Amino acid sequence: MGALCAVLRSLRRSATISGLAVGALALAGCAGSSLGPSGAGGSGDEVTLGLLVPLSGVYAPLGEDMRDGFRLYLDQHGGRLGGRTVKVVTADEGETPQTGVPAAQKLVTQDRAAAVVGVVNSATALGLRDFFHESKVPLLVANAGADAITGDRGSPYVWRTSFANGKVGAALGPAVADEVDGGVYLITADYAAGREMVGGFRKAFTAAGGKVAGEKYTPFGKTQDYQPYLSAIRSSGAKAVFSFYAGAEAVNFVKQYKQFGLADKIPLYGTGFLTEGGVLSAQGAAAVGVKTSLHYSTELDTPANKAFVDAYRKKYNEAPTVYSVQAYDAAAVLDKALAKATGATGEDLAKALGQVGTIDSPRGPWSFDAQHDAQQKYYLREVRSDGGAIVNAVVRELG
Amino acid sequence: MDTYLVSVLNGLAMGSLLFAIALGLSLVFGMMDVLNLAHGAVYLVGAYVAVALLGDGGGPAAFVAAVLTAAAAGAALGGALAAMTRAAPHHLDQALLTLGVALVVAELLTVAFGSDVHSLPAPVPVDGGVRILGETYPVYRLLVIAFGVVLAIAVHRLVERGPLGAVIRAAVADRAMVAALGVNTGRVLVGVFAAGAALAAVGGVLAGPILGAQPGLDEKVLLLALVVVVVGGLGSVRGALLGAVLIGQVQALGVALLPEYASFLLFAAMAAVLLVRPAGLLPAAAGVRA
Repeated sequence: MGALCAVLRSLRRSATISGLAVGALALAGCAGSSLGPSGAGGSGDEVTLGLLVPLSGVYAPLGEDMRDGFRLYLDQHGGRLGGRTVKVVTADEGETPQTGVPAAQKLVTQDRAAAVVGVVNSATALGLRDFFHESKVPLLVANAGADAITGDRGSPYVWRTSFANGKVGAALGPAVADEVDGGVYLITADYAAGREMVGGFRKAFTAAGGKVAGEKYTPFGKTQDYQPYLSAIRSSGAKAVFSFYAGAEAVNFVKQYKQFGLADKIPLYGTGFLTEGGVLSAQGAAAVGVKTSLHYSTELDTPANKAFVDAYRKKYNEAPTVYSVQAYDAAAVLDKALAKATGATGEDLAKALGQVGTIDSPRGPWSFDAQHDAQQKYYLREVRSDGGAIVNAVVRELG
Repeated sequence: MDTYLVSVLNGLAMGSLLFAIALGLSLVFGMMDVLNLAHGAVYLVGAYVAVALLGDGGGPAAFVAAVLTAAAAGAALGGALAAMTRAAPHHLDQALLTLGVALVVAELLTVAFGSDVHSLPAPVPVDGGVRILGETYPVYRLLVIAFGVVLAIAVHRLVERGPLGAVIRAAVADRAMVAALGVNTGRVLVGVFAAGAALAAVGGVLAGPILGAQPGLDEKVLLLALVVVVVGGLGSVRGALLGAVLIGQVQALGVALLPEYASFLLFAAMAAVLLVRPAGLLPAAAGVRA
């Protein structure tokens, strides 16, 4: 019903020939499903899974890593999950809900995916919640971090293999309160993810006895030069800085933090996205010494992670990122859930997702909590120069 | 107080970059009446030339080579754009055409360099910092300010004093009259277009160590350049200079003084100028055909 409504909505919105053609195809797909012998997601042994990741726009590097992680798991398991042959249909999430939501609707209504994996943008994930809830198709969020996705706006059909913004920030709070003697300055991009991460950090940090020396929210996506903010940090007398930025903003912030001479005097802390993947390569030596909290690092010294990193490097000739792991784990979750599912409907699969138990992931063992969010360890990481390569060394687990 | 003085200095560095980028946009719009929406893409070409040639670091020689290569690439792209836009006399056609070129160029750059964020080191002898007013300030940005000053003087000499400048200014004011005097205005226009695009590409190299290179940067830079042109006034070198310095200060000093309003300051400044002087602060002397 939700699918049909969505199709009708999209038809009303774009009364063009191509829009009509897509709508007609989608309707044809629906008709087939009600007559066909099997439930959603392909016939008999085969199951169709939708992969919704950004392949264009500013989030494309994340989307490519997620796609690679998901594919690696499939390749390692002969293209089969839970004993069934998997057909993966990939759709481009783009940058915003305007592109992400229709792409997800196409995966469910037209390609008839049994489940959809991916979603980087939190607004897209929140915008899709009702659609998946009403379509009774599971959505495995493999990045989008808004607290509400598994909080206020949770659904039996929405599960998350990645993280909640507030929890990543909160993990670092007690550690910074312990290490820093004096006030800490909070600075982040002015949008939901930044405010949630800083909010989570502040709560845990002040509860552990930490003092906030000041805070700033910089215009999201519009700030190229952080000098005015860096000067404010310097004159605030703060003894450390906690921040969250991603993508180009993370590169500019960390590089300028070094260029303007703050890195040598005021230690920089942040959530792990500040120094993850391609961002860290671009920052280079400027990032050395930055300490972050995250649920993964390529440097984790466990057999599971070593095997994963080796396999990933062999296949793609680059190091994995936390984004690859989140999608890799989504495939692992589906592997277990498809094996446990008693029937072929989305309801059966959603029920099976609640029974997957512990996932033995490269990031360490984790499981879904009562709210369908990943319950996992966080690590304190420090950027170090390791024989020329800049890596996120693991200092210790965060309690 | 010292904090704000450093912000003023930083505003000058950003202003220098904006001047190099916006000058071509302003002259081309004022003179040829062409709104070149591919100007940001030309900038991005320059930035990626720098990534290709300086990605692993390099000395001053490599940096100069990158600047020259970017200038050549920018001039070639500008010449091509000039030829294309001559066939499209209407504003809407020109906007669509140059926007299309911008999209194609940006996509080609993404195909060639990937969608990751690239950053560039400043050339080796000037990659450190100096202490100014008690704060560490990157040496490279001081050089960018020096470049801006040299560029402003050189362009001012060329356009406001020399005979070539007289032709350019006359073409901005009344192209038909200049043509009637026997000057090949077509060649002048292509030359200005190419020179403006070359400057934008050079701006891309110079801004590399500060802003890096990534998909989407072209749109941000184009927007800033358009604001500079609107504030400064069309078709004038002095206007572009004043606009660039003003916008540089708004983004540095303005943000330092009023951080809560950082997102609105840029456009508030533009709106204020438009209210008081709708044609910009220092437009070209004679009216541009509207």
